[in-house]
Amino acid sequence: MKRNSDIQWLESLLAKYLYREPVMFDFQQWAQRYPREAQLLERGYKDADQSHETKFYHIWRLIMESKITRYSAAAVIVLATALVLLGPFGTPGNDSVVLADVQQKVANIETMIIRGTKTFTLPGKNGDICEFEGVKCQFDLVKYSSIKYGLVEEGYVGDELIYRFTLNRPKRQTLLVLPPCKKYGVFTSTDKQMQLLENLTPSGLINLFLEGYHRDLGRDDINGVEVEVFECKDTEPFIGLLPKVIADIQSLKGKVWIGIEEQLPLRVEGDILIGKSLMTMFNDLNLHEVNTFGEYNVELDEEIFDIKPPEGYTEFTLSDILPLIPVEAKAGLAGLGIVPIGLIFWKRFRRKKTAVKQ
Amino acid sequence: MKTQSRSVSHGMMAKTENEDQILVQQALRGKPKSFGELCRRYYPSLIAIADSILLDHHLAEDAAQETLAAACRNLKTLKRPESFGAWVGTICRNVAKDMLSELPRQRKAAERYASLEHDCDDCDHGMIMTEAVQQLPQHLREVVYLRFYNEMSYEQMAKVLGATQQSIDGRLRRAKKKIAAFLAKKGFRR
Repeated sequence: MKRNSDIQWLESLLAKYLYREPVMFDFQQWAQRYPREAQLLERGYKDADQSHETKFYHIWRLIMESKITRYSAAAVIVLATALVLLGPFGTPGNDSVVLADVQQKVANIETMIIRGTKTFTLPGKNGDICEFEGVKCQFDLVKYSSIKYGLVEEGYVGDELIYRFTLNRPKRQTLLVLPPCKKYGVFTSTDKQMQLLENLTPSGLINLFLEGYHRDLGRDDINGVEVEVFECKDTEPFIGLLPKVIADIQSLKGKVWIGIEEQLPLRVEGDILIGKSLMTMFNDLNLHEVNTFGEYNVELDEEIFDIKPPEGYTEFTLSDILPLIPVEAKAGLAGLGIVPIGLIFWKRFRRKKTAVKQ
Repeated sequence: MKTQSRSVSHGMMAKTENEDQILVQQALRGKPKSFGELCRRYYPSLIAIADSILLDHHLAEDAAQETLAAACRNLKTLKRPESFGAWVGTICRNVAKDMLSELPRQRKAAERYASLEHDCDDCDHGMIMTEAVQQLPQHLREVVYLRFYNEMSYEQMAKVLGATQQSIDGRLRRAKKKIAAFLAKKGFRR
């Protein structure tokens, strides 16, 4: 009896404080707010083919409906977890690098400075560094990259600047400066070169890695920074970046070191075998290039990307290049139709004639 | 007598379930009015369910409308049209919980602060009653809201909760017991 009176007292209180007048549903108003749903109703669900909209929870519900599928799914999950944690694939950890995330992150980088080395060696000669006109082809590199302005690559031997290559994006022009011989050349950048420029950004490099076959080599350490290393051996994405005549990329092996914490590339290393082409002055050469990243989104002056030739420099012509190319390579050039055959023999004839006169 | 009344209410429930089934089938055949009728039937219950989670009447109305839109989109996937009420109730619970998780943190903090402010001797009965209901676990708060919000019958509640009237009665009793204990603790006198 006491209980009943208690409940009545409480019920009246609850009714007093919680009661609300029922809200009437206005279908017209609702249909205005949700026109797609209202149309669906009017059409009698004729267009509502949901077979293509199989979502995760539909699959989940399907699994959970039967005891057999439910326990099978649980067994698969347990097995997969055990394999990942204890198996030979390595422990992923909470901080593992996902290249797709890195790709997204590097896409936001506007500018960067890359440092490194570029070494040309002769294949099959115990890795001897090749020499060209008395200069050892082992360069210290500094690259300035800007999404807005373009790319500059400087190659040094010791403190001496050997070459400077400027690809100006807005003007679509390329300037090559060779300080040792005070020569320069200006070329209009082709679409291919512009594509190459895209590929030299961190974003481009990661995209190239993702395009080809790559594998995770596990963890490493660069100057105390924990990194994850990825290797790419697929030449396919790199073929066609440059015309075969300029750089005949025959094989490529690349590695990229990605910082675990920053999720950004810290180092890229590549070994490229380049066949006889203009870039190697028609020799077979190995190019070993190391790029160290780290200076991201730094302020880069527009003047760095200026393609105005320096004062006191003269433009190099084909006749400046021809003496540097071996005779057999010249024949190759002529064969490829790059250099008119008459020009080569006329040059040789003129040089002989001058020597006789002297 | 008790058995007789139970069988009568069971019969009525079966009748309304059949009606729901017919309305769902008609809606699927292109009769928007049938879906409108289903909405009218369950809209107040949905507001009560959403309000028991969100503790905000205006937001609860939004959640109820969103629930009906979701139900409309997925009506074709409903396997048992006779349990439309329970199905739409579950959708509403999920919609309200999603909305609650999306509420700005500042607002939640302000609400918590406001609830603390009311924790004093001068507070009026209304505030203490609100607090007493809010401290209930969600599944008990839901039955209290459904029962006292629009004076809903056990039969209507059973339909929207997908539970038997006995279990609803049990939940209500437990809820009232907890409320009474809370009020006693706060020194609330009738």
